[in-house]
Amino acid sequence: MIPLSLPVVSDAEVPFVTRLRTATTSGGDAHDAVLIDDDATGASFAATGGLFAVDGVPASELDGDVVLVQPRSGRLERLLRAGSPHNTLLVTERCDQLCVMCSQPPKKTHDDRFDLLEQACLLAEPDSLIGISGGEPTLYKDRLLTMIERVLTERADIEFHVLTNAQHFEETDIVRLRNPLYRRVSWGIPLYSVCTQLHDHIVGKEGALDRLLASFAVLIAAGARIELRTVLLTSNVDELPTLARYISAKLRFIEVWSLMQLENTGFAKRRWRDLKYDHHNRFKPIADALDIMSLHGVAAQLFNFPRCSVPEPYRRFAIASISDWKRKYAPACAECRERSQCTGFFEWHPADEAEAEVMPL
Amino acid sequence: MKAKHFIIPSLVAAGFGSHDPAQASFIRAAITGGGDLESGGLLRLFKFDHAVTLANHSSHSSHSSHASHSSGYSGGGHYSHTSHRSSTGGYDSYAPDPVYVPAPTPPPAPPPRQPQPLIPQTDRASPPPGDGLPSLSGRSARFAAIVRRVQIALLARDLYHGKIDGIVGPALRGALRAFQKSKNLSVTRTITPETLDALMVSSD
Repeated sequence: MIPLSLPVVSDAEVPFVTRLRTATTSGGDAHDAVLIDDDATGASFAATGGLFAVDGVPASELDGDVVLVQPRSGRLERLLRAGSPHNTLLVTERCDQLCVMCSQPPKKTHDDRFDLLEQACLLAEPDSLIGISGGEPTLYKDRLLTMIERVLTERADIEFHVLTNAQHFEETDIVRLRNPLYRRVSWGIPLYSVCTQLHDHIVGKEGALDRLLASFAVLIAAGARIELRTVLLTSNVDELPTLARYISAKLRFIEVWSLMQLENTGFAKRRWRDLKYDHHNRFKPIADALDIMSLHGVAAQLFNFPRCSVPEPYRRFAIASISDWKRKYAPACAECRERSQCTGFFEWHPADEAEAEVMPL
Repeated sequence: MKAKHFIIPSLVAAGFGSHDPAQASFIRAAITGGGDLESGGLLRLFKFDHAVTLANHSSHSSHSSHASHSSGYSGGGHYSHTSHRSSTGGYDSYAPDPVYVPAPTPPPAPPPRQPQPLIPQTDRASPPPGDGLPSLSGRSARFAAIVRRVQIALLARDLYHGKIDGIVGPALRGALRAFQKSKNLSVTRTITPETLDALMVSSD
């Protein structure tokens, strides 16, 4: 696992964002932190914000990372790791839903870091796709949209992907979201079932599905780019074909539907046995749903499905979705021909399950 | 280079190390030169002595008497980061050679006299904490080493008068502020790359 948060000591009085430079290449600017020294335990840098020394990762692996130094808590967050396609910024830990399988259980307090995150985005590598997550980012919709607009105005090469429960879009947002800048923003929105009771139960909020559908009306009017996301659960697996029919009939404007296998962390960890649907035993509901999508020409993909676990005709849907920093492979995967295209397993996936499941291709 | 190591013991032999307050203040004036490093006459001599570095020395406390001695006069900055890192040997070569210890006259030879501080004790940094403290972890040790170098450099400029302890406290922040202001740098009260450059304690 690649550590995203490292212990740090700093003389700064306030948090600051900087880009780490370990090579003495020219072209550094005032935003860059200069390497002062390093040893086996880590590296020390000086930046405009102050001096800081970090442990746990060799200097060479930090070059180019955009980081947030938090002197009070003594943590350094690697906000945008150089060369990683999986950089995601967490804008809040508050959420107005409480999903049964939440991988990142919400907190009650909010720490507004939008200004710092904006600085980080402006320092991103060229052509970055930056993920935005939470908590629920649109709880701070105006701050969020302002940050997005500022960054996209300044950096014509950057795109955003925002994970949102879409409970907070209003008709008054349509004009704003029609700004051509939003062609470079896609919204990842969860929809677990078209059965109101079931969807609302899964997200832990009454009225959530109705509110979601109202938001779709706003988003379609704004021409927003949408990725629908459905996490596979024992409770909704048999609803998938119905959901697929609904999407292909009424939500055809989406870019893609992502069917996601469960992640063994957060709430899902202790509810694993109740929630996890083992698709090895019965792939049919998933296959039916994918068939419907294919038939209607709406794109679909499988997230977090190891390729060997998917019947061959559907393997093309299974993409390498798990982020680099939390991805692992089972020992048996070493000999698999499709490993490079495979999502692997979450770092926290039970090792015995992973080992039992793998059948190298 | 070798000859330069003799400067200090020679001064001691010449009586510079004595407790004569007038002499001490003369030396102090000569070193600090009104806040500007380059105008300090004595310091100009001493700045050749960069085989020695105090701040990063891992076994500092075991040499505390030398360390305190050294920190008084060689705070003029480290002109080469490289020599700093490989300075351990250089430091040890600093131990006063007995040749230069004035042999006090008649029979019962008193123990060899340790070099005395050039600057009155009250104006000088205290030695780093002695043994008995837990050793610092990697990041804390690296951080403190750099801070000590900054403290020494600011001490040499008469801007910092606290301990050479590797801790960023109010006195050091004040000194950083004064230094940054005097050099027209961004006033951050933190240790920035340009501050390290201007203090000549930065790498590369």
